[in-house]
Amino acid sequence: MKKVVVLFAILTMVLSVFSITITMTAGAVGRELEALTEQVEMFMEENPDITVNILPMPNSSTDRHDLYVTYLASGTPDPDVLQLDVIWPAEFAPFLVDLTDDYDYFGLDGFFPGTVASNTVDGRLVAVPWFTDAGILYYRKDLLEKYGYDVPKTWDELYTAAKDISEKEGIEGFVWQGARYEGLTCDVMEFVHSFGGEIMKDGEVVVDDPEYYDNNVAAITFMDKLIEEGVSPAGVTTYMEEEARRVFQNGDAVFMRNWPYAWPLVNAPESPVAGKADITVLPKGPAPDGRNSATLGGWNLGINANSSAAEVEASKKLIKFLVSKEQQVYKAVNAGQTPTMIEAYNDPRTIEANPFYADILDVFLNAEPRPISPIYSEISYEIQVAVHEVLTQQAEPEDALDNLAENLKSLVE
Amino acid sequence: MKVKGTYKRSDIWLAFWLIIPTLIAIGITAFYPLGQTLYDSFFRWSLRPGFEREFLGFQNYVNLFQDPRFLRSLWNTVYFTFFSVLIEFLLGLGTALILNADFKLRGLVRAAVLIPWAIPTAVSSQMWKWMYNDQYGVISLMLYNLGILEEGTPILGTPGMAMSAIIAVDVWKTTPFVALLLLAGLQIIPNELYEAARIDGASIWKQFTSITLPVLRPTIGVTLIFRTLDALRVFDIVYIMTQGAVGTETLAVYNRSLLMDNIFSPRGLFGYGSALSVVIFLIIGLFTIIYMRSLNIKLD
Repeated sequence: MKKVVVLFAILTMVLSVFSITITMTAGAVGRELEALTEQVEMFMEENPDITVNILPMPNSSTDRHDLYVTYLASGTPDPDVLQLDVIWPAEFAPFLVDLTDDYDYFGLDGFFPGTVASNTVDGRLVAVPWFTDAGILYYRKDLLEKYGYDVPKTWDELYTAAKDISEKEGIEGFVWQGARYEGLTCDVMEFVHSFGGEIMKDGEVVVDDPEYYDNNVAAITFMDKLIEEGVSPAGVTTYMEEEARRVFQNGDAVFMRNWPYAWPLVNAPESPVAGKADITVLPKGPAPDGRNSATLGGWNLGINANSSAAEVEASKKLIKFLVSKEQQVYKAVNAGQTPTMIEAYNDPRTIEANPFYADILDVFLNAEPRPISPIYSEISYEIQVAVHEVLTQQAEPEDALDNLAENLKSLVE
Repeated sequence: MKVKGTYKRSDIWLAFWLIIPTLIAIGITAFYPLGQTLYDSFFRWSLRPGFEREFLGFQNYVNLFQDPRFLRSLWNTVYFTFFSVLIEFLLGLGTALILNADFKLRGLVRAAVLIPWAIPTAVSSQMWKWMYNDQYGVISLMLYNLGILEEGTPILGTPGMAMSAIIAVDVWKTTPFVALLLLAGLQIIPNELYEAARIDGASIWKQFTSITLPVLRPTIGVTLIFRTLDALRVFDIVYIMTQGAVGTETLAVYNRSLLMDNIFSPRGLFGYGSALSVVIFLIIGLFTIIYMRSLNIKLD
């Protein structure tokens, strides 16, 4: 008996020398946390020498940012693996482990190029794309059919259909995210890009560049026109994702711009519009510069630069596991989170759980990142303020854009 | 207070030793951060690794008073404070006078009145945000039915209206607190004073201005200080309802943005944010002194 105890003690000691504990932050939107817990258990079974603690985070991206700021600024080695919003890598880059040499280790060639680009800061890879997001258009196929409209390909077609149907049905035409917050920047980028405009390019301010200025003005003017002519309710200036979804899901709007997360909810059995809605790419702006555009969203995994070498190694193993094709499929099936690896979309399990992925794969492939900059939050703030003033009738599009150009230039210089 | 003669020397020493931990705790939690913030406010500095601290002297303060966003949020804060405190005080005084009267179920009513104050601000702000919703909000519907608002007006997305809506929430939430404080003050006034006044033939108004108000003055002072200081720091209501859009940004909301959103900014805004914190501190201090002087309140 005594021998067994001694042996056990020795074994534990030997194991504890080789075993290591790492901490990972995680969101808890929808089924996200449950799915991750299951995945981490699988990982620990495969790697008995590594213990992973999951640290749940608030749902709001802003609140998570505030928490990360506290962790990173204090220099604590925990948490080791950080779940990062797609707009943060540039800001947090100095606090993250350089993963450039591990490009092949993670197999990043098979990922959407946009998602990898958004994690590359000054040529340095600082995080690995985990799941992605892009803006898409939700529409009421029953109403389009009823009034004989095709699925809109351009913003003008959307405008006409939305105006006509909303007046006849007594509902709203088109709801999107117009409150002054990060979501507005996402929507603005989509309008601007689809009209052939551009706000920042390669770190330079190009808002008032002759090449883009007219298209920028046209895009913002169009957003304003949606509200002024009642196609979008004046209330969109207070809408975030959930406010827009509530209106659309309640059957009170013809079109909605939102992220894919809304699809399972809109289509759930208890949803009033279940089976009546469909999704497609966001419309093109007017020719000749117009194109389809979707803003890139999503989350990435980075490693805390204050973690020890052993913790970094264990973290890399965990990340490689989580972004592997098998696990991306698992996440798509169990949490409805969109893979970043192209292969994962061809898997029959993914297709069965999310039949709509096939139609919008192009959207994800071509999703456009927001400006990559360590002062992103300041840039985004200026964009939000400028456009929100137009949408709330406090400024004309030209004046707002001129101001924006001036403010952004003073930020970037 | 005369201590000498009443206490033994050893008792005084004991008291001194007992109070030391508290002093240290206050020093660490209150004065050290304050001093650090003051120190930081003289630098161009960011928490970004490798960022070189650059001494600026009072430049951050000079820049602050040329920053239109600061001046706007200062004005918004003062506007919010003035109206919310004024309305809360008047309503709270009225409520306190009513609750001070004798009626059945007085205890129950007194407790019920406190409910809005007991709900966490974050919860009530979110609740009111839904009630202000342009499509499904009950307040929007009521105002529309009364012919005050056009259908579908976004209350929190309309300049001017948004600030009034935020003030309304603060009034709803904090009037009970004001009423409670004033009620406590009212209850120490002996009934004999009013009886004597009535015998002398003083009208209700005369009783109110000659007895109630003078006796209540210290309570009013404390109440106004509490409320004004709270209102000058207002953050959660604004942050949850509008995030500072359409002319509702207050000093605290702007300060959060500088210190949290831009903490690693290569532009070095951490010192600038610290300067704003110091200014908020000074403004609050100034108001406290003004109140205490004008109401003759002594802190002992």
